[in-house]
Amino acid sequence: MSSSSSSSASSKTLRGSVALVWRTLRSMRTALVLLLLIALAAVAGSLVPQAGVSDARIAAMFRDHPFRAELYKRIGLFDVYGSWWFTFLYTLLLVSLAACLLPRTRAMIRNLRARPAPARELDGMRHYAERTISVEPDRAIRRSRRVLRRRLFRVSKSNGDPSIAADKGLAREIGSLMFHWSFFLLLIGIVYGKGTGFTGQAVIVEGGTWTEAHANYDGVIREGSFFNEDHSGVQIHVDSFTATYRPTGQPSDFVTHAELLDPQGNIVKTVDIRVNHPAEIDGVKFFQFGYGWAPVIEVRQDGKLIASGPVVCQQKPPPAGASPLQLPWDCVVKLPSLEPQVGIRFSLWPDSRGLLGLLQTGQAMPMFDVYQPVMTYTAYRGDLLADLPQGLNQLNTAAMKKWTSGTVGAGQTVDLGGGLTVSFPDLKQYTVLEVARDRGLWIVLLAAILVLVGLLPALYSSRRKIWVRAEPNGAGTVLKVGGFALQRTSQFEEEFAKLVDELARASEEKVGAS
Amino acid sequence: MNTLQLSRLSTDAFNAALFAYIAAMLGYFHFLAFGRKAVWRVASLVAYAGLAAHIGSVVARGFAAGRVPWGNMYEYSSLLSLLVVGGYLLIVEAGFKVKSLGGFALAFSVLTMAIAVTFLYVGPAPLVPALNSYWIKIHVVAAIAGSSLFALGGGVLTILYLVQDRRERSEAAAPPPIMGGSTDVDAPPHFEAGADEPVGATTSRRGLLPPAAVLDRMAYRTIAFAFPIWTFAVIAGAIWAENAWGRYWGWDPKETWSFITWVIYAGYLHARATSGWKGRRAAVIALVGFVSLLVTYYAVNLWIVGLHSYKGF
Repeated sequence: MSSSSSSSASSKTLRGSVALVWRTLRSMRTALVLLLLIALAAVAGSLVPQAGVSDARIAAMFRDHPFRAELYKRIGLFDVYGSWWFTFLYTLLLVSLAACLLPRTRAMIRNLRARPAPARELDGMRHYAERTISVEPDRAIRRSRRVLRRRLFRVSKSNGDPSIAADKGLAREIGSLMFHWSFFLLLIGIVYGKGTGFTGQAVIVEGGTWTEAHANYDGVIREGSFFNEDHSGVQIHVDSFTATYRPTGQPSDFVTHAELLDPQGNIVKTVDIRVNHPAEIDGVKFFQFGYGWAPVIEVRQDGKLIASGPVVCQQKPPPAGASPLQLPWDCVVKLPSLEPQVGIRFSLWPDSRGLLGLLQTGQAMPMFDVYQPVMTYTAYRGDLLADLPQGLNQLNTAAMKKWTSGTVGAGQTVDLGGGLTVSFPDLKQYTVLEVARDRGLWIVLLAAILVLVGLLPALYSSRRKIWVRAEPNGAGTVLKVGGFALQRTSQFEEEFAKLVDELARASEEKVGAS
Repeated sequence: MNTLQLSRLSTDAFNAALFAYIAAMLGYFHFLAFGRKAVWRVASLVAYAGLAAHIGSVVARGFAAGRVPWGNMYEYSSLLSLLVVGGYLLIVEAGFKVKSLGGFALAFSVLTMAIAVTFLYVGPAPLVPALNSYWIKIHVVAAIAGSSLFALGGGVLTILYLVQDRRERSEAAAPPPIMGGSTDVDAPPHFEAGADEPVGATTSRRGLLPPAAVLDRMAYRTIAFAFPIWTFAVIAGAIWAENAWGRYWGWDPKETWSFITWVIYAGYLHARATSGWKGRRAAVIALVGFVSLLVTYYAVNLWIVGLHSYKGF
């Protein structure tokens, strides 16, 4: 007995605390505090460097302030928007939102089904007016009903009683509900799109063809958590890349001229991919992201070709005040098959006058176009340490000795000694394309549109209620009108006066033969 | 006219507008202090003249660059202050019939323009490829319109509301002389008339600032007007970002800060509907939103490196 009573008591307190939590979640204050906390978290995310956006700064922090960096890492400050506490905050906000929206939506549906409710006392209302008119009550009510309908009021059904209840401005609450519910749709769109999609970068040299597959991406590829390896297999063939500049050095256009091919290799369309003008095939989009130079380098050992092909060169970020057009492009060729191993660092000057200017005046002139390109090189001999992780364009010279250096112009071949020659037969460009598939885009767009469409009535339409009663007064009628406004009450004063005038006027108007 | 002449014309008109705004600002403040209506009339006229010159400057700049005149921070600042002045003259002065706030709106514009011409000026040039999209017309116009309205509502009007509210409170706290132990029943009639009004609505006021309640309502309406425009600007920006970079949201500093501003003003609108948060607390949120707006604009463009840091070109 006693145990059952105590359990019922504890279930009562449990129910009580659940109700309390629910009530707290529903309160606007909670939502408000959560909104401001999210804003605060976002501020933190903009001040602390974020992974994937400013990795270099994170690395610098680990070097200079290891303790602080470790602390930041532990509490997720390097990935604020993906951290558990950010997720927790917006999930809590959405739960609070749902708790608030569900009863409101239920009430709204009930309200939509119902009709405006009649009121008993009109003359006690804040807005009240009386007019004596010379027509009978029924007609006055009929006319008033028409006026209110025309003014977009929702009017109660006639029930033989010479009175009307009317309201308008339901759009305010409907809009508000739509606005708030749309955020759930937005979240669904984001999770679906990012979850089933992928993004990565493709580096393609002019004349090359690239197939959309996991292994072919350059660097990091981000695949969604529900992604089931269904890469599309579509292909892109890059015919050429063009970068144009204005005389000031300001870039004016970057274009990748390419063909898009289906997985079987049939050309589907020819496209020009520019910044702001992506190309799309089979739901996969290609965006112009970057570009660079890829000299064709051939290395021969005793006349036998041991390495050849376009080598992708990269540029260091320019120092403050300098244009990237003034900087050379760096790349590395590694020859692990030789004994001892050889690594060669190249610095490419697409316009040899750039290098010349640097040597003569200490100031490299900007290189807008290709003009007698030239590469400087430094060759090292020793151990490439290929087992250690290193980037494509990095040469670890810890176990190597500098061997020889010089320059090689386009079309030239130089002898490094020991039977090793390097040729520079051709200079090509490469393009960097951002490749992405996001199937949730249309859901996100739809949600954004609904957010906006809901917002307008939620902010600007105002709820109004009007009651009209016609009471016989001798041969005529006393028209009694009461009004109630929930928003913009100061404006309603004037609105109400106008409406009353119109109701009285319309009731007395003679209409044709009727 | 060639590009150089147009560019000079634009700069001259900009300077003319700036000086007109400074003169008008002084006039408005004079009116605020001494209440001479003639001074207000002249100030308002000068502000309109400045606005006309300013419009001329922006149009000439557009022709000089051969594109929309909001391609860099200088141009954006110019247009922003133009909209704040225009918004003030047409919405607050002509619409709300409030005369006394011109000095503050103009002060904001003068400051913005002075910063623009001193630190951010660049000659007219075509757009870099990243900005060369028709979305610049849509996204940037909405962003400028939204921020100028936020500056007016969340900045100027909210600060004035807080000032006026403080003054009214201190006046209300001081006991009216008539109640100092007096048994006189013939109290002045207005004490009775105002009894059921909310505090602050009709309290007597010295000076020419509108009552706090009026300022509060104006601030709210302006922010409520700005909020959907800002929402649209963020959405349009996301669509543009998807088009340019392949993702609609990447927590780039500009995106992050426009989101923060949006969240804060969403908080403000909700605070207005929450008991215990109306009035001063809501105003403080609006003010925080204004600070966030300034960060979105200046700090992100100038100091925080990201895809949106448009200083210079």
